[in-house]
Amino acid sequence: MRTFAILLATCAAATALAAADPKQKQDLTAVIALNGKPCGEVVSYAVQGDNDFVATCKDKNRYRVYVKEGRVVVEKK
Amino acid sequence: MRARSIAALVVLSGCTASAPPPAPEAPPPKIAVAAQPAAPSSPPAQMPAAAPAAAPAPSPAPEKVATAPEQAAPKAPPKPAPPAPKVAAPAPTPAAPAAKPAAPPPLDLKSLEDRLKDTSAIGVLTKLSLKNQVDDLVGRFKAFHGGQRPPTLGELRPAFELLLMKVLSLLQDKDGALARDINASRESIWGVLADQDKFARYTS
Repeated sequence: MRTFAILLATCAAATALAAADPKQKQDLTAVIALNGKPCGEVVSYAVQGDNDFVATCKDKNRYRVYVKEGRVVVEKK
Repeated sequence: MRARSIAALVVLSGCTASAPPPAPEAPPPKIAVAAQPAAPSSPPAQMPAAAPAAAPAPSPAPEKVATAPEQAAPKAPPKPAPPAPKVAAPAPTPAAPAAKPAAPPPLDLKSLEDRLKDTSAIGVLTKLSLKNQVDDLVGRFKAFHGGQRPPTLGELRPAFELLLMKVLSLLQDKDGALARDINASRESIWGVLADQDKFARYTS
C-alpha cells in the first residue's frame, strides 16, 4: 500500500514536472506555429499519453498535439 | 666594250659635270635620309619638289622614333596583359578549388540532414513535424518530376522557401552555425530538388 502511494506520488510529480518543462512548451509552441495555427506561446500543457498533449496558448487557444502514424497532428479543441 | 663603257662613263660624268646643281641636290637628301637625321630641317624648305621624297623620310623617322615608344607603350601593356590573364588563368583554377572546398559543405545534404537530426535546438515533436513537411514537399517534387501539373516549379519554389524559413527561424537562435550552413545551401538544395536527375539520385 505504501509502495503504491509512493509510486503514485512519483508519477504525479513527474507529470507535474513535465507539464512545466519549458523545453516541452517551446516544442509545442514551435509545432503549433509550424502547422500554421494561431497561438503565440504555449503557457501550459497537459500530458494525455505518449506523444499526446493538450496545450493552452497565451491567446487562450487550446490544441491537442499528438503523433499519429508518424505524423504530428495539431487539432483545435 | 670596256672602251665604250669608259666612254659612256666619261660622257655621263661630263653630263653630271654640266649640271652639277641637280645631281648634288638629289644625292644629299638620300644621304641625309640615310645618315643625317638633323639635316632635314633645311632641305625641306629648299626643295619643295624633292621634299615629298626627302622630307617624309626624315620626318617619319623621328616621328616613328617618337611614336614608337608611345605605341610601344600602349602595345606593351596589352602584350603583357594577355600573359597576365594566362598567368591569372592558372591562378583562378587554384582559387576555384579553394572555393570548391567551401561549396561542398553546403552541398553535403547528408551531413546537413544528420546535423538537423542531432541538433538540440529543436524539440522532438518539432523535428517530426518538420520531417512531415519536408516529406510532403518532396512528395510534391516527385509528382512534378513524374509529369503531374500542378504543381509547377513556380508553385514549388515558394513552398520550398517557406519551409526553409521555418527551419531557419527554428535554428537561428540556438544553432546559428547550422542555420547559416543551411541558408548557404539554399540554392544547392533547390538545385537538387528542381533537377530531375539530381532529385532521382538523391531520393534513390
